[in-house]
Amino acid sequence: MLRRGAVFALITIALVVALVTTAVAYFVDWLPEQASEERQGIDLVFYVTVGICIFVFAVVAAISIYAALKFRVRPDDDSDGSPIHGHTGIEIVWTAVPTILVTVIAVLSAVVLAQNDRSKGTVNRVDVLAQQFAWQFTYRDQGNAKSTQLYLPIGRSTRLLLHSRDVIHSFWVPEFGQKQDIVPGIVTSLVITPTKLGEYRIICTELCGLGHALMRSRAIVLSEADFRAWARKQRRFGGTGTATTGQATTGETATGQTATGETTTGATTTRGGTNVDVKGVFASNCGGCHTLAKAGTTGTVGPNLTTRKVAPDRAEDQIRHGGGGMPPFEGQLSDDEIEALVQYLTGSK
Amino acid sequence: MTTTAATPRTHEPHTGHGAPPRRHWLLAGGWPRAIWMTGLFFLIGFGITVGLRALGNYEPALNWEPVIVVAALTAAPLGFLSGLGAFDYWAYYALGYPTRAEDHSSHGAYSWRDYFRVNTDHKVIGIQYVTTTIFFFLAGGLMAMLVRAELARPATDFFDTQTYNELFTVHAALMIFLFIIPAFAGLANFVVPLMLGAPDMAFPRLNALSYWLLPIAGTMLLASFFFPGVGAGWTNYPTLSTTQPFGNVFFSMAVQWAGASSIMTALNFLVTIITMRAPGMTFWRMPLLVWANFTTSLLVVIATPFIAASQFFVMFDKVMHTNFFDPSNHGYVLGYQHIFWFYSHPAVYIMMLPGFGIASEVISTFSRKPIFGYRLMALSLMAILVLGFSVWAHHMFVSGMAPYLRVPMMVTTLLIAVPTGIKVFSWLATLWEGRIHFSAPMLWAVGFVSMFVIGGLSGIMLGAVPIDIHVSDTYFIVAHIHYVLLGGSLFTIFAGIYYWFPKMTGRMYDERLAKLHFWLTFVAFNCTFFPMHLIGIQGMPRRVATYEPQFASWNLFISISSFVLGASFMIFVYNMIVSWRSGPPAPGNPWRGMTIEWLVSSPPPVFNFTQVPQVVGNPYEYGVPGARHAILEGEGSGTREVEAR
Repeated sequence: MLRRGAVFALITIALVVALVTTAVAYFVDWLPEQASEERQGIDLVFYVTVGICIFVFAVVAAISIYAALKFRVRPDDDSDGSPIHGHTGIEIVWTAVPTILVTVIAVLSAVVLAQNDRSKGTVNRVDVLAQQFAWQFTYRDQGNAKSTQLYLPIGRSTRLLLHSRDVIHSFWVPEFGQKQDIVPGIVTSLVITPTKLGEYRIICTELCGLGHALMRSRAIVLSEADFRAWARKQRRFGGTGTATTGQATTGETATGQTATGETTTGATTTRGGTNVDVKGVFASNCGGCHTLAKAGTTGTVGPNLTTRKVAPDRAEDQIRHGGGGMPPFEGQLSDDEIEALVQYLTGSK
Repeated sequence: MTTTAATPRTHEPHTGHGAPPRRHWLLAGGWPRAIWMTGLFFLIGFGITVGLRALGNYEPALNWEPVIVVAALTAAPLGFLSGLGAFDYWAYYALGYPTRAEDHSSHGAYSWRDYFRVNTDHKVIGIQYVTTTIFFFLAGGLMAMLVRAELARPATDFFDTQTYNELFTVHAALMIFLFIIPAFAGLANFVVPLMLGAPDMAFPRLNALSYWLLPIAGTMLLASFFFPGVGAGWTNYPTLSTTQPFGNVFFSMAVQWAGASSIMTALNFLVTIITMRAPGMTFWRMPLLVWANFTTSLLVVIATPFIAASQFFVMFDKVMHTNFFDPSNHGYVLGYQHIFWFYSHPAVYIMMLPGFGIASEVISTFSRKPIFGYRLMALSLMAILVLGFSVWAHHMFVSGMAPYLRVPMMVTTLLIAVPTGIKVFSWLATLWEGRIHFSAPMLWAVGFVSMFVIGGLSGIMLGAVPIDIHVSDTYFIVAHIHYVLLGGSLFTIFAGIYYWFPKMTGRMYDERLAKLHFWLTFVAFNCTFFPMHLIGIQGMPRRVATYEPQFASWNLFISISSFVLGASFMIFVYNMIVSWRSGPPAPGNPWRGMTIEWLVSSPPPVFNFTQVPQVVGNPYEYGVPGARHAILEGEGSGTREVEAR
């Protein structure tokens, strides 16, 4: 059935196809920058699987290209091919070889998966609260400091505990590889062990409504010393609420502060010793949906706040209770932050 | 438009004794009655809803939300079907009017009008299915063009986000529920009874009803643009779907109508294939297309009720304030995904196995060789059927389900590659040492094998959990499903349409245009979807209207390619219309095929066979001297009269 010439031609075509596809795999920069230990495992599975895929694709391409060139006949040729009905030996081979190949992929994947679920070093726990269309991070091991960007120490694992306030979201940082849906009603978790300093994209990958494409934040990997310093500073200035009993009580602790001695300077409002970076608060909580020139945001889901003027109590009510498609921010932002936002947006004192 | 007008009408409509009396044109089944009965049933639904609310002191009595669900999306379509005459026979029977079981008055097409009424001829229904689904394919394709226009540049250019979300949702829903699944059902409707040597499907009136549910479902999806709310993706995950505007019920109800159509057709296929095979047609002599539709029908019957349930739950949560998926009331959000994917993964095979069947027919015929490893081909279909029900959670590796489910689901997922691989290698072995004719159907079939291999290999990558975690919900997924559903299903649908076009219409299509169509589609398809793998891995999520500038140049390239892809289908439409009207007449067996549909004229007689064919051998005995699959015209022993069955 197979002549020597055919075998030679097949192997040649297969090698050419394999070389071309390997070149595409090698010279195109397929994977984003690698910045976590988990990504190392993912990349390993990726390369092994791509290798197997190239092998299979080269075999298939060689047979079909050879057959198309060699066995093609003129339209007026009425002859039939040889009546080969099957070949048990070959059929066993092409059942067994794919079985072995997928077993290799399965075992490797299972091992990498088990490793990626495990945390390395002293684990740092962070609660992630996702809601339409913003992120909030609460650092359990740093006195419940809060931020709207994710700060991570390098070289040890952070376990994210993910909570959703409304619909399903999904946390993904391409450079870390890890991804996890955030489901209302349950707490999901994800381990990330950063290996590279820098700033990376946090992307919501589960369709979560009108502002889905803009539900973004940054993950910032710091050295251990910088991370501790950052956490200290967060605690000292209160960050976004210095609550000690978790997120549910954030609003209450902040309400104890008096409305005296406030100074508004530029985009930073200082009230009763609490430092609010109001421009940052706006950018990470509101900018996904609203355009505001002075905060540099370009969201188009909600009204444009550069042009629309709002009365202070109307603005406060809208921020606290939401409505018209906008989620409520009461409890999500501290009273200080809400007040600062109202001032920032309406220009009132 | 050619019909079977030339064929003598062998069975006149029975108007004498035992048949229902002729009625006034407003009362007889047809479009006039359909129009007023649609209105009447709407008013009945309206009255029931408002009346019950008034009786129960609900405020306000006139609430449009339940009125839309009950009157517009449930009662009015039933009125339309009744008016058109889909229930006439059963209604007469139930009411005690005289009926005749062998009443053929609504059978066959003698003019173009016969395609627009309730017709019990499986060949007419097959053509109704194929043309209707191509209409929805073009509508869904237009939406894809609009989506790609929006994505050509990173910012939002044309649509607000709600409209954009509705565009990609309705695009997917139309392509899945109103194109791929019913297009295969339509081709099989035409071909399977002929291949079996049967005069029609087992339940012709049920068959007609199944078809007429489709325009209803499609109209609902198209109408959803006037009632915002179908913007949660075709997966319609709660709690996003349950918090969408009210229009979301249009999606829920459209899925019910399309699903009911699928289930009824599948039952019809099962009974037809099991009970109506010609003498001598053992299971091991059935063509692989019949095998494929047998397994597909099993999948449909078992799985489709699950998506019906999942969409009912979503709608009940919206309309009746039940708590299936409301976490603040002990609802279980992930429960939806398990139910949904328990249908929607087998649905991938519902959209693929009939294509495998078509590819087997075409590749064997145009290679002039028996299909390699026929029995293993049939058994691998059954293996996919069984394994297909054990892999649904691979859509949920990052969903937050119990972590221990991931590895078993990965193993079953990867194992499906084995029977699928068997099929691919068997097709390649069928090509080997064949006498290959690259006519249009063969180009599409071989193109399908190569594209499906790419989709299958990216499927293996997705099956490996660590890779899946990285690329879930990115453009890598978009690339994968389009390689499977466009490079897989759509290519085989085109293979099937070109292969059986002469049989369906009695005309030949323009071969040069068909080849141009193939090459343009093939190249534009790869340019459109292959780069999506790359931007997906690099970090572009799916279902977004805006994206980072780093993906801008690839997206522009993809959008331009997609417009070429869209334009290539215009060649197909032109070719089909012109050839159907004025193509050269087709011989009974233009491809020198062996299966039974090629033994009758093109188009076949109204009742398919004057005598029952006798099956004497395997379906693909090309190259075996003197071998035949079946004998017609009393050549063999054991022929019987049609009526004697």
